[in-house]
Amino acid sequence: MPSQEPVVVIRDLSKHYGEFIALDRLTLTLERGNILGFIGPNGAGKTTTIRILVGLSRPTSGSATIAGADCVRDLHKVRRLVGYMPDKFGSYDNMRVREYLDFFGAAFGIRRRERQKRIAQVLDLTNATWMQDRFVESLSHGMQQRIGLARTLLHNPEVLILDEPANGLDPEARIEMREILLRLASEGRTLIVTSHILPELSRICNLVAIVAGGKLRAMGTLAEVTRELSQKQTIEIQFLNASRLEAASQRVQQILGQETELTISAAESIVRCRTSAGEEKLSGLLRTLITEGFEISQFREVAGDLEEAFISAAREADAERAAASGRSASAPVSSKGVAAEVTV
Amino acid sequence: MGSIVIIERELLAMLRSRRTLAILTAVAMTFAAVVILKWPTSGIVDLSGSQARLVFHWLTYAMMTATLLIIPVFPATSLVREVRGRTLELLLNSPLSRTSIFLGKVGAMMGFVGMLLFATLPAMACCYLMGGVSLSKDVLQVYSFLLVVSLELVVIGLLVGTWCRSTEAALRWSYGITFAVAVVAIFPNYFLQGGASIFADAAGWLRMISPIPALMKIVSVESLGGTGIMEYRDVLRWYLFFAAVVIIGGAVVVISRLSHALLDRSRSQGLITDDRSASVKAARRVFFLIDPQKRSAGIPWLLNPVMVKEFRSRQFGRLHWLLRLVAGCAVMSLMLTLATTVGTIDWGVESIGGLIIILQVALIVLLTPGLAGGMIAGEIESGGWNLLRVTPMTAGGILRGKLISVCITLALLLCATLPGYGIIMLIKPVLREQVVQVLISLVMAAFVSMLMSATISSFFRTTAAATTVSYATLILMFAGPMLIWINRDAPFGHDLVERTLMLNPLAAALNAMRTPGFESYELIPAAWYTAGALCAALVVILYVRIWRISRAD
Repeated sequence: MPSQEPVVVIRDLSKHYGEFIALDRLTLTLERGNILGFIGPNGAGKTTTIRILVGLSRPTSGSATIAGADCVRDLHKVRRLVGYMPDKFGSYDNMRVREYLDFFGAAFGIRRRERQKRIAQVLDLTNATWMQDRFVESLSHGMQQRIGLARTLLHNPEVLILDEPANGLDPEARIEMREILLRLASEGRTLIVTSHILPELSRICNLVAIVAGGKLRAMGTLAEVTRELSQKQTIEIQFLNASRLEAASQRVQQILGQETELTISAAESIVRCRTSAGEEKLSGLLRTLITEGFEISQFREVAGDLEEAFISAAREADAERAAASGRSASAPVSSKGVAAEVTV
Repeated sequence: MGSIVIIERELLAMLRSRRTLAILTAVAMTFAAVVILKWPTSGIVDLSGSQARLVFHWLTYAMMTATLLIIPVFPATSLVREVRGRTLELLLNSPLSRTSIFLGKVGAMMGFVGMLLFATLPAMACCYLMGGVSLSKDVLQVYSFLLVVSLELVVIGLLVGTWCRSTEAALRWSYGITFAVAVVAIFPNYFLQGGASIFADAAGWLRMISPIPALMKIVSVESLGGTGIMEYRDVLRWYLFFAAVVIIGGAVVVISRLSHALLDRSRSQGLITDDRSASVKAARRVFFLIDPQKRSAGIPWLLNPVMVKEFRSRQFGRLHWLLRLVAGCAVMSLMLTLATTVGTIDWGVESIGGLIIILQVALIVLLTPGLAGGMIAGEIESGGWNLLRVTPMTAGGILRGKLISVCITLALLLCATLPGYGIIMLIKPVLREQVVQVLISLVMAAFVSMLMSATISSFFRTTAAATTVSYATLILMFAGPMLIWINRDAPFGHDLVERTLMLNPLAAALNAMRTPGFESYELIPAAWYTAGALCAALVVILYVRIWRISRAD
């Protein structure tokens, strides 16, 4: 269960590669027991942040601590606190799974007897005991992901940083991976997970952070983030009967304006509108519809999804980049099969 | 038609790489140097043409050396890369036939060979202009012969590529087979020539598979290994026959193996003796000294985990393989002892000692790049380096583990030849001190090779590139000074040759043994100091490199 005790604290973290700014004053705090979905488009700064957290990279400015240990000065401590699973498995030829785990256990300085116990535990936890005598290089991608996770857990780390753990997994393996991650969080571990499979992330993460263009665009629960980033909200108006549905939709369009997208479902007697109209306009719409005799059974906001928030953050970053380079940029962005063009 | 598509793609890819440009430039410059070094200094052309023929001889040796060193790299890695990059899958799913794919690859490699030989043309033209060399009998024959040798090496390389899974293994096997066919095949005849036994006859036939005696026959030099005994077989004709068998047989095997089966590598089910029935366990206990399928124990606390990992992940690094290595070395020791005892009667202790030294150094040069060349580059390539970096192990600890694993393997190999030296000391007890000096020089050679390969490895991100550069550097390091030594009468003076030989631990060992041709130099202890300084410098460079690639970016 999440607690109020902060485990990962990142303050004004910046990383510059010459003129290129990979991370721009990123600040976030993560409490114990949370699963943070760390998402963003390619080149957003996710991997840079992760590399700094595990001590593979040094920030240009700012600080990052894990359970109080500084990621630059207390590297030795950080390595024992963090379990890192990169997107590349890192296999060795001619080694069996048990030997592979034994090697990493020994590299972490775990004593032989304790190591054997830990190997059995992590194999059990990742449902991989049956493959302990197989050669690592002969495992399928899904199996390797499980062994990668087992390797990450060997030294019993407090924080797990997993880069694309569900990448390339089949649906069954993905469900298994999801269950394993939830089990780890329930044990009180803190997880930072990156993924491009957003529906998958929204199922396991209780917190989401979206980075784009090296900046943190939003962070919070899924609902908070989607609300913060979505430029349009979806309103559903359900009528008692479908007889005046056409007239009602024309009225809605008049009140909310032409930029509002309407979808009519006659079977459900619902008019669905995606609009950027403010609260005032929406309350005016409800009042007008009732005054004009439309019988309304429900008037509600439909929660946005992560994909939408992700695209919104990506657009924002693109717009900033284009503004910074002082030219007009036109970037086609596609969501749910609808293509939109952003012009700055 | 299909083959042309492959030739175009392969050849363009080869020509686009900087490595190819470097190779072609190096070849052109080396051949120019060979001609310049052997060019008559007096300004008067020898009417008999003997000087021109001498230049021609050296040029052909250099061309053969370049062919044996450069050609195996490309075919060996070509198929492995296609399999690993899954592009072979695309090729096999295209309308191209397997024969077209094979012919395309061979065509592209031979195109490269053509360019390589073309780079030697200016040097050969100079040689021809000196006179004494026939265009049709000498020049064309040499070029045609080298094309046949190259074709044989290309087919061997492709054949190796259909079996190996990694570029590193493909390179190792390809160079190993080339070395065995070209060089090792000659040696049994040295020892057994003139005998009436079946072994002597077999050794004579074995020698025919090597292209070197055949080339020497073309350039009209006395038969290599002939030592004055009349050669009753036509070396050239028999070599061409064996090469044709290898080319045709190899092509058939490669074409038959070029299928989806190459991509469908069976996955080991992880059969372990510990989980089998009591009777199977008992039987395996009797038949195996060390059961390869027994579940291995955890790494003990006193051992460096990286060292154990290196042995376990090496193809022949497991204990049961090491035992085989020790057994093989013991057999080699006995053979060397026998050769020493028999050979010294004819050749003298110094000559046979020199032969053992050359064999040992050849073995070191052949094995070390495979062991240490991929040490760091392979780790970076597989993604294991970042995993090691996030463990509490220090960069020094990681490096120590890797170096110790190579040291142990090389020590085992060197120890195998000790009985040979023991016999030498027994036959000529005054040589005791010299033998000790030889052993020190050999240890130095092993250290220099290991540290050089490891340092090169730390500069690369792929095993194949690191291993190839390691091979080239070691061969240059050990064979380069020898080329200067060969020219010891002219144009190089005694002092220059001596100073150059000091850079080579092989020369130091030969000097310590007083091998003919090396007696007049005083290389010890200066050569040891040079090797020691080189090792120290390499250790520093290696540690700096490791520190740089293991610190936070």
